[in-house]
Amino acid sequence: MSGLIHWLEDHLLSCPYKAGLGIECPGCGFQRALVALLKGDFAESFALYPALLPMLMLFGVLALHIKYSFKHGAMALKILFVVNVVLIFGGWIAKML
Amino acid sequence: MHEETGQEPIDSHFQLPIPNATGVLVLGILSIPACCCLGGLGGIVMGIISLVMASKAQQLYTADPARYTVASFKNVSAGKICAIIGLSLSALTLVTTVVRVILGLASIMAIPELEKVMEEFLK
Repeated sequence: MSGLIHWLEDHLLSCPYKAGLGIECPGCGFQRALVALLKGDFAESFALYPALLPMLMLFGVLALHIKYSFKHGAMALKILFVVNVVLIFGGWIAKML
Repeated sequence: MHEETGQEPIDSHFQLPIPNATGVLVLGILSIPACCCLGGLGGIVMGIISLVMASKAQQLYTADPARYTVASFKNVSAGKICAIIGLSLSALTLVTTVVRVILGLASIMAIPELEKVMEEFLK
């Protein structure tokens, strides 16, 4: 696990907008938040990218629903999607202001 | 299996999922992470592809509903909603990014007219 964390920290993809122009895109902070989460620092992770856990849940439920076709999978995905959208864009706007 | 409807018990085990139903769902959901690519364009492209596939899927379904599983139709509907939301937000992201780039360039080049517009806008 610590090997994975070190690898991730060393291989963070850079965002061309942030590097070139200094502006943040809606995904900025995701990687660092993931590293913080893996280190167990939930507060830091949430501060960096509040939508991280909801997003991981969304992908997880999506993959499971594709495989097992849950009865309420489509509804669960719609709800998770909206939660994610609110957190991602709310967070992005808050960072801009 | 996948069917939830009890309405056509005779034909239900011959129902197939609508073609590309999963694709509509996946692309619709991925349109949000994709809006980080290319300043919003990635999300727009995925949203459009998802909606095009969704409209074909819906046409197939309405032409012969008994032939397809309800579960796959629910996936298409969910994917379509996600695609619409994702597409709209990606478009907004793109517009916002372009505006910020222009404002940034204007302050670098210190063009007086554009600076006045910036000040008006920020008031």
